[in-house]
Amino acid sequence: MLNYLTPHGKWHIHSTYGDNQRMTTLSRGVEPFWMNDKDAEELGINDNDWVEVHNDHGVVVTRAAVSARIPCGICIIYHSPERTYSVPKSPLRNNRRAGGHNSLTRTRLKPNLMVGGYGQFTYHFNYWGPIGCNRDTHVLVRKLPELNW
Amino acid sequence: MNVRSQISMVFHLDKCIGCHTCSIACKNIWTDRKGTEYMWWNNVETKPGTGYPTKWEDQEKYRGGWEKKNGSIKLKSISKSRTVTDIFHNPSMPSMDDYYEPWTYKYEDLFNSPEGSDQPTAIPISMVTGEYINVEAGPNWDDDLGGSPVYAENDPNLQGLTAEQRQQLFAIERLVFFYFPRICNHCLNPACVASCPSGALYKRGEDGVVLIDQKRCRGWRQCIAACPYKKSFYNWSTGKSEKCILCFPRLETGQAPACFHSCVGRIRYLGVLLYDADKIEEIANSPNESLIDAHRSIILNPNDPEVIKYARLNGVHDSVIESAQISPIYKFVKEWKIALPPHIEFRTLPMLFYVPPMSPVMANKNDDKVQSVSDNFFHDIEESRVPLQFLGNLFGAGHQGKVLYALKKQKAVRTYRRALTVGDIPLSVAEKMLTEADCTKEEAEAIYKLTSLCTFDDRFVIPPMHREEAIEMMKDPHEHKQAVGFGFVEKPERGL
Repeated sequence: MLNYLTPHGKWHIHSTYGDNQRMTTLSRGVEPFWMNDKDAEELGINDNDWVEVHNDHGVVVTRAAVSARIPCGICIIYHSPERTYSVPKSPLRNNRRAGGHNSLTRTRLKPNLMVGGYGQFTYHFNYWGPIGCNRDTHVLVRKLPELNW
Repeated sequence: MNVRSQISMVFHLDKCIGCHTCSIACKNIWTDRKGTEYMWWNNVETKPGTGYPTKWEDQEKYRGGWEKKNGSIKLKSISKSRTVTDIFHNPSMPSMDDYYEPWTYKYEDLFNSPEGSDQPTAIPISMVTGEYINVEAGPNWDDDLGGSPVYAENDPNLQGLTAEQRQQLFAIERLVFFYFPRICNHCLNPACVASCPSGALYKRGEDGVVLIDQKRCRGWRQCIAACPYKKSFYNWSTGKSEKCILCFPRLETGQAPACFHSCVGRIRYLGVLLYDADKIEEIANSPNESLIDAHRSIILNPNDPEVIKYARLNGVHDSVIESAQISPIYKFVKEWKIALPPHIEFRTLPMLFYVPPMSPVMANKNDDKVQSVSDNFFHDIEESRVPLQFLGNLFGAGHQGKVLYALKKQKAVRTYRRALTVGDIPLSVAEKMLTEADCTKEEAEAIYKLTSLCTFDDRFVIPPMHREEAIEMMKDPHEHKQAVGFGFVEKPERGL
């Protein structure tokens, strides 16, 4: 079980600018799943392996980037790649295509997000409050048993 | 004295944020063609890391550059006995596995897939075969992976580091990495030029830009093996080799090269240096430990009347000499001595210089708090997170002295400015540091200005190119009437 975060990436502002052939070439061809080298070793995952990241909310399939830069117990997918390229099917989802980085997060509000009285209860289409803390969640990771497009 | 002019460059590594805007600018202009998919004339690497092509700095593997042999220097890649067999198979030539297999995505599937219960996806396909590809390598594969035991640990510059230093480089909250942008160094003693059997490579007389004549190139690919920086590339479509041209069509019209112009961190500087071409052979043959000093000594003072006299004799235009006198490169390399050539031990005398990075020199590895000033002002440089030996291997031919000098001066300038603007350090202490770092107050101000407050015109001092006086232009203009061409002049052809 790893603590899952979705910070801003250096390659893109959300999906803008990042989802093109040039930029994915300068990255890993996908938005990778960053994890600590010791965690990866424990899970039997090598750098660039396809991984299935899941919790009770959803599942993401992408490739692992293993580095001591990431603390033990933490994992990262930079937000927010489009789901249009390089998304394999997920056995955990009955072999339907896996989701995006936000498939693992939920929009349920925690009590501490209800204090304040600024814009967090504002509603318009496709918008749920200004606070990113609801992205803080936990995930399980396993090596993808079979790569299937 | 054989005075020539050269457009030279400085990259200030502390300012590089690794955004790759330079790479994209270059790719969009020059290598967006068939056969050049895998080429990145400009690329940005993470250090420590293995770079592009993988482990290019390892000359045991690639045999690039020059080596000292029997009192003179010889190309490492070529010998009489090997040339014939190397034509058929050169084991030190980088292959596609060393670069990467370029890929794109099958975007049409997003539009043409049959209706189904699941969303379609654009799968990665090879730009070579057009077939599905399992992407295993890219031109920037180890991006931001300074702490990776898979990539960073294979950096050839880690040689000579203690076990403790190595361990630190791969531990959380101890590790460090910085970005290392690279283009062709437009060397004074270019191995690529020396290696070409067709004589297709040349160094332009008026500005020192190293070019490949696309008409004379026969695709021997000796330049690719000989360049120790691996900045010459083979175009599989045209059957010729290509390399960074320092955007000479832009320079000739007074514009900075695309990678310089687009640089977000404003890390790049460009200007003229005058050098003594008679000394190249002698300098390139210097012993390892004095290579940097020797390299600096070949750069001439553009204000010296003697130098100006000989420059004029060689046909260097007055406006180019004037531009050399206000060159930011001269200040960084020769006056302040804080910019250093990369891997000068390859002996090609690169004319691109780097200001070594300080970051994060303040956070001592034993104490994560910002260090207070102690009796030894510069102790934290030697204990800094970037091991000095690592920088020494990269910028000092394995020696730390010149790097230490550059870092000390930078730290002294920072402390001095801090004393002036923040005021939490006594000015007397800052001044003492300046003295110890071999820096005057005026110099500190000048370094501060050119590093932090520099405008476009401060960073790029581009001389007028005087193409009207270049040799190829002295031909009869009637002969070239209506002629067109890129890099070479082509007569108009009649009919189909």
